[in-house]
Amino acid sequence: MELVVALAMNGLVWGLIIALIALGLSIIFGLLDIINLAHGDFFMVGTVLTWFVLEATGNYWLAFLIVPLLGFLLGALVERSVIQPIRGMAALSIVATFGLSIIIQEVVRAGYGAAPKRILPPIEGTIPLFGIEYDYYRLFAAAVSVVAIFVFFAFLHRTKLGTWMRAVRFDRDTALAMGVPARTIYMVTFALGFSMAALGGAVAAPITTVDFQTGVDVLPFCFMAVIIGGLGNLPGTVAAAVLLAVTEGVVTSFTDPTVARIVSLCLMSAVLIARPHGLFTGATR
Amino acid sequence: MKARIDRTVLLAVLALLIVAPWLLQSMELEFWLDILAEVLIWSLFAASVNILFGYAGLLSFGQALFFGMGMFGVAIGIAKLGLGFWPALGLGMAVAVGTAAVAGALAVRLTWHYFAIITVVFSLIFYFIALSAKPLTGGDDGTSFSMPAMLEVGDFELSLTDQTVQYFFILSVVGAAYFLKFLIVKSPYGMALMAVRENDTRASLIGLNVYFLRWTAFVIAGGFAGLAGCLFALFGRYASATYMFYHVSGEGVVWTIIGGAGTLFGPVVGTALLIVVREELSNMWEHYPILVGLVVILTVIFAPKGLMGFWNALLDRLTQPPADRAAGGEPHEPREEAAAVQVRGKDRP
Repeated sequence: MELVVALAMNGLVWGLIIALIALGLSIIFGLLDIINLAHGDFFMVGTVLTWFVLEATGNYWLAFLIVPLLGFLLGALVERSVIQPIRGMAALSIVATFGLSIIIQEVVRAGYGAAPKRILPPIEGTIPLFGIEYDYYRLFAAAVSVVAIFVFFAFLHRTKLGTWMRAVRFDRDTALAMGVPARTIYMVTFALGFSMAALGGAVAAPITTVDFQTGVDVLPFCFMAVIIGGLGNLPGTVAAAVLLAVTEGVVTSFTDPTVARIVSLCLMSAVLIARPHGLFTGATR
Repeated sequence: MKARIDRTVLLAVLALLIVAPWLLQSMELEFWLDILAEVLIWSLFAASVNILFGYAGLLSFGQALFFGMGMFGVAIGIAKLGLGFWPALGLGMAVAVGTAAVAGALAVRLTWHYFAIITVVFSLIFYFIALSAKPLTGGDDGTSFSMPAMLEVGDFELSLTDQTVQYFFILSVVGAAYFLKFLIVKSPYGMALMAVRENDTRASLIGLNVYFLRWTAFVIAGGFAGLAGCLFALFGRYASATYMFYHVSGEGVVWTIIGGAGTLFGPVVGTALLIVVREELSNMWEHYPILVGLVVILTVIFAPKGLMGFWNALLDRLTQPPADRAAGGEPHEPREEAAAVQVRGKDRP
């Protein structure tokens, strides 16, 4: 029983981090029509930047500030150089972001090295929770993700920039006619998506390993969350990410992780075939 | 005029491919014969992506599944079941096509993003099964085998252990497959597929069975990918689960789009370009993938219809007087453009 609780909790924490990353993927897809195969690598860049910040300053908390900021700048740069020329052409975006993914991974391998490294969490210790001793840091990671997700939704619905973003997504031409600077909005959206993935990386760095290949594993998971949650349904994405991760955690407590992965993938294909437009259809776009 | 240039180029390339073993030998570049064989095999894999995406309008990220099935069919057939050359090849094809028939029946109920995701999910399921079924597949390490003879008559033995025999075997299989693809694309069935790609509602309204067309395209594409997998297993005397990962499927998609989706030889051009670039650069610089990524991005930005689209546009410019062009006389434009454009915004909720 304790094992089930512990693994379900791990699933919940990991699901919330994935939700943060997948939200970035979802806004990039929804607004720019870009199928971003490099999104997992944006997450990986976040973990690697965290390692570098830690090396340079020795202060983990600084990473939570600097990494998303650097992610935002990198995102803006990538949007201007790679994404802008092919915006709105989904098939080409797959190829371009695949190329981007190759470049990012190789640059990281050259600059950071091919060997996976581990980072120690900034807060140690455990806390009794539901009859088990649970890592403080994982709870903290979950809290950071939840706060970031709430801030993101608040930004989207309560600020001018966020409203503009939703307006461009809803009807680009009308938004343009109303004086919304669409090009800037595209850049900000992409940069924000990168930034959220990078923050996810900073949060997850002590939980996973820091390695130039982690993005490859994270990417399908994020896409599944976006699709199962319903394309463009942002709260659905969050719910789907958590649901997927918790399911996998619980199943892992009964069998080995590979079988658990197979089970969750089978469940996912069942959902896709039965409810192709997401588990939560009828919710807002 | 344009058709004549195309035919001349095609015949020249074919002639070069046939004399390649002797040509490379005289230049002391035998090493390149294996690379050429590898390009041929992977271009067959890319053709599988092209049948689905370029002609049926279904973007699959799961073709590696059938590639892997073909590989394991051959490897397990020879190493575990003790089959000969041809029965093992048959087993590989049967497994790949059988899997495609079952997976396709479910997958083609969905389109566009949903289809792309479910093909990834299916291929991941079998990737993890292949990883965990260690006794059968060898898991991470894979299964290797020693090559049985292709033909044995008395003392005479024909086997792929001879590099030249192996090259010609691969060349003839891939050549035949491309001829088959040509026949399919030009047939009424191929036209029906393109009608589905352009507009599935209209296609169904004129009486085409959209589900059945998509399913058959999926099975045919699965067969092509499976055949590529069989050849690759024979070529490397080896099968491994790593070739079932979705990244391999992604490479097929990239090669196809770089070469030109919806064109007959686009996949060959894209595959050849990227594999040759890789082989050339990997000797010079350890971090050559950075340059591969740059080539990919620049091609997409400057030749959005792929290299074949670029070539067609160039030929049109050169062979047609300007007046014709102004009057809309660009026969190749609409079809290629459709492949690049129709994927945009379709089926968005």
